[in-house]
Amino acid sequence: MRPVLAIVTAELRRFLRDRSNLFFVFIFPLVLVLVIGAQFGSGATAGKVAVAGESGAMVAALTTQLESDGLVVTSGSREDVLEQVSRGRAAVAVLVPDGAGAAFAAGRPVTLEVVPGSASNALAVQQRVRGAVDVLQLDQAQLAALTGRGVAAPAARAAVDAARDQVTGPATRVENVDALAREFQGVGQFDVGAASQLLLFTFLTSLAGSATLIQARRHGVIARTMAAPVSSAQVLLGQAGGRLVIALAQGIYIVVATSVLFGVDWGNLWLTGLVLLVFGAVSAGLAMVLGSLVDNEGAAGGLGVGLGLVLAGLGGGMVPLEVFSDTLRGVAHVTPHAWAYEAFAEIQRRDGTLVDVLPQLGVLTAMAVAALAVGAWALRRSLARAM
Amino acid sequence: MRTDGATAEPTGRGDVLVVDHLVRRFGDLTAVDGVSFRIAAGETYGLLGPNGAGKTTIISMVAGLIAPDEGTVTVAGEQMGRTAVAPKRHIGLVPQDLAVYPELTARENLVLFGRLQGMTGPQLTARVAEVTELIGLTGRAKDPTKEYSGGMKRRLNIGIGLLHRPTLLILDEPTVGVDPQSRNQILESVERLSVEGMAVLYTTHYMEEAERLCDRIGIIDSGVLQAEGTRDELVRLTGAVDHIRLSGTGDTHAAAEALRALPSVSQVDVDRRELRLTVGDAPSAVAQVVTRATDAGMSLADVEITRPDLESVFLHLTGKALRD
Ligand SMILES: Nc1ncnc2c1ncn2[C@@H]1O[C@H](COP(=O)(O)OP(=O)(O)O)[C@@H](O)[C@H]1O
Ligand SMILES: [Mg+2]
Repeated sequence: MRPVLAIVTAELRRFLRDRSNLFFVFIFPLVLVLVIGAQFGSGATAGKVAVAGESGAMVAALTTQLESDGLVVTSGSREDVLEQVSRGRAAVAVLVPDGAGAAFAAGRPVTLEVVPGSASNALAVQQRVRGAVDVLQLDQAQLAALTGRGVAAPAARAAVDAARDQVTGPATRVENVDALAREFQGVGQFDVGAASQLLLFTFLTSLAGSATLIQARRHGVIARTMAAPVSSAQVLLGQAGGRLVIALAQGIYIVVATSVLFGVDWGNLWLTGLVLLVFGAVSAGLAMVLGSLVDNEGAAGGLGVGLGLVLAGLGGGMVPLEVFSDTLRGVAHVTPHAWAYEAFAEIQRRDGTLVDVLPQLGVLTAMAVAALAVGAWALRRSLARAM
Repeated sequence: MRTDGATAEPTGRGDVLVVDHLVRRFGDLTAVDGVSFRIAAGETYGLLGPNGAGKTTIISMVAGLIAPDEGTVTVAGEQMGRTAVAPKRHIGLVPQDLAVYPELTARENLVLFGRLQGMTGPQLTARVAEVTELIGLTGRAKDPTKEYSGGMKRRLNIGIGLLHRPTLLILDEPTVGVDPQSRNQILESVERLSVEGMAVLYTTHYMEEAERLCDRIGIIDSGVLQAEGTRDELVRLTGAVDHIRLSGTGDTHAAAEALRALPSVSQVDVDRRELRLTVGDAPSAVAQVVTRATDAGMSLADVEITRPDLESVFLHLTGKALRD
């Protein structure tokens, strides 16, 4: 254990000596959380919807429905709302065609035009608008059915409302609302961005660390270390341990800073830490593999950043996993990011317990062990190879 | 001189290192081909050979960094292997590369490798201070080593190897790329170590260093240990002899006659104003030679001694010059 700690200490010292590291590890991620949070919407809401078209009972009902879903609704002319969407001030525009109100009142199908913006949450908001419209149309169809059987309109209205209240409201509504909308219900503006940036950055920092292993190999320090009475497993654990401590420090820092500065709700902090630990171990292990197989720091740096971005993108570190198609989501689970993302989602949004995230922790642990084993093999092999 | 590793220990104090028939191949290339040698406690052994001879490969196997394809290495009675821990405690390795962390200070580098050798606490602190002093870096111990001159880095590189007082110190071409002054400092410190009783394995392609430092020298070329022994033993191998060249005015023929009568002189060639003498041991014969020539009526303008060196040994053994 002592040699491992000696190596970890040396690696941390090396890391801290390079001031540019401090910017990329501690400042840059917060800037991105801020930028992504700003995109996600202002206030505590998950999105803004701009509605244009004739006002009336239907638009009022739609507005009520959307607001009850946590969205902010504004209205204006057709040009106004399209402008709002194109400027990114609203996630989605809803255009109500003329005559829609009358058709709706008569219980006939109505077609609304929905224009999504380019914000990262536009898709999610669009789904929620669709959900709200579904609810309205279901209500309206029931009303029409009742009045069609001779029930007076006010009585029918009361019956529908009563029925909705009876059937433990949310449950029935939830049936109708898209899963995506449900997923982000009540999620803070910065919450999703913070979790995905945490994964993106701790992973990138670890992989960038592969360059320090290459330097150490090229300087002959690794060979000299192996000439001391230590095993290659100890050398690897020391090197990977250094990466892991740095990733943990960065992760904890992002958790603390985002909850203090942006009010991000991380849920159970112990569980968050545990997910961070196993995810950090996977990235440290991969850094060892990269740092042992590649002999050129520049190449390793490029590969590290490329891999970091691709895996993060694929694994929900850039666009929420929930937006993915089922196939793509299946593919996403080759990345450690997807598993960690899921674990964070469970902890942040659904008050998940240890048992809930056990599958994700298990998969991540297995990935970490595999990466470290391959890293140990590659490091030993690298010593017998001329650099 | 010894040609096989099975003979008795030269000093009787026990061998610190026994290298027995090491072979190492890289693909089709046999970089080390059946090399055997021993180093006794307190002895400085030199591996002299040109670039690519296989010196670093031998050292990597001795230090347990790479596995030999054949043969064994025994350090202080314990067999070396890549996973062997016990024999590695006895070895201090000073690699050919400057194997230090450039971002860390000399102190931090020393502390790291001291800890890896199992040193801790006050013992480590004291020894780090002692070695820092020894390598003349006390004033700069808290600066990152990347700010050091080449010579300072080399000295730190050696300091790390010495830190845990190894039984066997291995230095792989420690003076390559070093200015003459630092080079001399390094050679002096190696001389001091062998006085302190440390066994040293020293590789170089500079014959002057091998001559100056090493008790015994192994001459290596193309992975094969061509010969080994003391400097004099190796020189004798070539059959080459010492020469004294006298030039001046006066009666050179009378001087030649007089010198032929000396028992230490085996041959005298006269070439106008110049006499070329073949002698057994030039340094001990030269005084008598000068007196006798002067007495015979020659007034000397110049006296020159030429002795065969390791360069000529290398040429004799391999048909190539040591320096390419
Ligand atoms: N890892 C390696 N892979 C392939 N060839 C190598 C390797 N290490 C050394 N060699 C070759 O083995 C020979 C001996 O090299 P080396 O031991 O470094 O010589 P020296 O230290 O005497 O200059 C050289 O021809 C070198 O190119
Ligand atoms: Mg070499």
